[in-house]
Amino acid sequence: MKADLVHLENIHKSFNGVEVLHGVDLSLNAGEVLALLGENGAGKSTLVKILAGDISPTSGNITIQGSELARLDVYQARQLGVRMIFQELNDAPTLTVAENIFLGQWPRVNGMVSWKELKRKAKEVLDRLEVNIPVDAMAGSLRVGERQLLEIARALTQNAKVLVLDEPTAALSNVEVDRLFIVMQQLKSQGVGMIYITHRLDEVAQVADRVQVLRDGNSVLTTAGKEASRDELVTAMLGHEAVKNVRPEPIKTSKRAVEVKNLSSFTEFEDVSFSVDEGEVVCIFGKIGSGSAEILESMFGLRPLSGGEIKIFGKNFIPNNPGISADAGIGYLPADRQRLGSFGSRSVAENLSVRAWHTMGRFGFVKSGLEAIAFNRWAEALRINSRRGPTQEIATLSGGNQQKVLLARWFEAHVNVLLLVEPTRGVDVGARRDIYEIIRMQARESNMAVIVATSDYEEVVLLADRALIMARGKIVSELTGNAVDANTLVSASS
Amino acid sequence: MSESQTMSQAVVSEAKKRRSIPATAPLVVFLLAMMTFFTITSEYFFDIENFKNILVAMAVTGVVCIPGTLLMISGQVDLSVGSSAAVSGMILAKTVNAHGIVTGLVLCLIYGLVIGLINGFFVTVVGVSSLITTLGTLATLYGVALLIGNGQTVGMRNFDWLGTAQPFHVPLPVIIFALLSIAGAVVLRKTVYGRSLYAIGSNPNAARVVGIRSNRILMLTFIYSGVAAALAGAILTSQLSAGDPNAARGLELQAITAIVLGGASLAGGRGTLFGTVLGLLVLGVLNNGLILLDIPTFWQRIAQGVMLILAVSFDQVRQKLNDKRG
Repeated sequence: MKADLVHLENIHKSFNGVEVLHGVDLSLNAGEVLALLGENGAGKSTLVKILAGDISPTSGNITIQGSELARLDVYQARQLGVRMIFQELNDAPTLTVAENIFLGQWPRVNGMVSWKELKRKAKEVLDRLEVNIPVDAMAGSLRVGERQLLEIARALTQNAKVLVLDEPTAALSNVEVDRLFIVMQQLKSQGVGMIYITHRLDEVAQVADRVQVLRDGNSVLTTAGKEASRDELVTAMLGHEAVKNVRPEPIKTSKRAVEVKNLSSFTEFEDVSFSVDEGEVVCIFGKIGSGSAEILESMFGLRPLSGGEIKIFGKNFIPNNPGISADAGIGYLPADRQRLGSFGSRSVAENLSVRAWHTMGRFGFVKSGLEAIAFNRWAEALRINSRRGPTQEIATLSGGNQQKVLLARWFEAHVNVLLLVEPTRGVDVGARRDIYEIIRMQARESNMAVIVATSDYEEVVLLADRALIMARGKIVSELTGNAVDANTLVSASS
Repeated sequence: MSESQTMSQAVVSEAKKRRSIPATAPLVVFLLAMMTFFTITSEYFFDIENFKNILVAMAVTGVVCIPGTLLMISGQVDLSVGSSAAVSGMILAKTVNAHGIVTGLVLCLIYGLVIGLINGFFVTVVGVSSLITTLGTLATLYGVALLIGNGQTVGMRNFDWLGTAQPFHVPLPVIIFALLSIAGAVVLRKTVYGRSLYAIGSNPNAARVVGIRSNRILMLTFIYSGVAAALAGAILTSQLSAGDPNAARGLELQAITAIVLGGASLAGGRGTLFGTVLGLLVLGVLNNGLILLDIPTFWQRIAQGVMLILAVSFDQVRQKLNDKRG
């Protein structure tokens, strides 16, 4: 039976001769929510980009609302009512809510924008979603969740029939997630079909009518949303039984490396206290916005603190700026690799050596060749795949390989304390396991205290000697050893 | 292809060391083509004295091009060098006449430091973009240069050796330029400071997050630029035996044209001093050839403007190609 809204059939897609989708089918009915699951790199975003006309498939049939399309471009897709809602906000923060909803399509009377009409219509749309947001407010003054609803409202004014939501809940609080789900119910009853991309398995049973799982460019499972068990989904996503508590070897407690007492920031977290020993890996687990990443930012001097103290090897440490922190033997890996981590146009060797330059020569000089030697050493140890060796531009590497280079940057600098924020974001499954192994190995071998802020519970299970769970800016519980368990983590953090 | 497959193939130490064609290759070809053309069309071109002329003509621009390249690599630009050189020349002419050469040169040096500090302060501490800051100082300092000489040229006595001496038959300005270029190239390639400039230009946010003291480094580079402009002004004034407020007009445009021609990216993070020297040679040979062919001087202006736009367009096209590849 052909689905009445969207039908993708036998979609193949290759990039530079590498096939990433191997004949995937996808169908969506009006008024249906289809959850699309899969690890990073499974092909989810490629598939929805094809549906949105962003990229064209190498082969395959696309049928939208009964009309089969030989070629689909962005404009056509929009005409047919396909709309994407991304995790990142695409609004204009300095304009009002009403203006944002009708961005670029402001109602006009005699050629002039009619504010009265604009506000009236905006109110109408928001009412339709049963959302109560003042239409005069600046979009930038709203909460993230509200701004996301705004984007959905905008899609509705443009007659959305198919709505693709790409991990919309990643940055939302629980209340906001509930509100989003209510809005989605509204849309369902109005006949909008939705493709819902998520990493959160618990959301599937809550909102999805059907679930489809992609793995390595193949569709491996399609089933009714209520029937899918968690284990079944995880197995389908990973291709093998979920790694259950393959817990790292426990370490003997050694010297205290980091001690944090009553640390508070102005808005993101308050009264946080914990300590980390040499060689220990501690994960701070919490949803995005819970304050876990912000603690590490503050400890490295990237975000002002309002109170509390930090001791590094017993000495008081005031993180005024990243330069001071790095000189004090602290390393920091940001979540946003492209924007804050890598020097895209520079070589992998340079990217790796940037913190070790002062050790590679005297009087401010860097001895030639030492960068390449350092790179080759780490490339071998960490299995960094750079086809053209040390001189290759880092931007041309895969996400996983880039991340290994950025980790090696701090290893080469011999830091005592390493702060990692979402260390495997945008890294494919295979490399992810590698990175966990690398972090653990380096922590033990060089007696490094490692603190990881993450929103990925699997990461915590595979990585942490100890886990601190954060919710709404506070540490709510602590798990040690075999008590670090996926279910406990998820329920404690909500 | 899965990550694990590619990984097993990769033993990086055995990776083939492929040398790609250097980015400056097209420029070398262009330079040689131009030289061939002028050799054929003008009997005066291929001559050692003429080559000296070309080098002397480019030395003054060259001196400001060295810190200019460092700035461009770090994603900044200093447009004030033209007016700055003019002010320096006026100061020199006035003080040499009254208090002697040493005092004059010391004052020029101090002036260069101060103007570098001012530019650096507004860019790093206040956070104004370098384009706007130095456009402002460019305009302001032109006024200052006119003010010092009351709009007139100021004659200078007994100090022409800096601009015209020829130890070992090589003009002194050319020697100064050559030494500074070598020093600059070593600094860029071999020092933490130089490597940091590339990092800052490539990704200023990442540079901050990784703990590079960007403000300090940029401040220092603006100071170099100020001092280099002051030196350029001194050489020029010595050549003319007079401080002329209009003598260095357009210096900043020549410098930026040469730097961008030489392959430094306006977006920062890329560039070499070797490239800049090539860019200077291209401009120098072009100007010289046009003069030898008796083409009216306003055509030189036009040629220079066209070269700037071509160089920048080339940079843009290259950036787009890179984005597509990455």
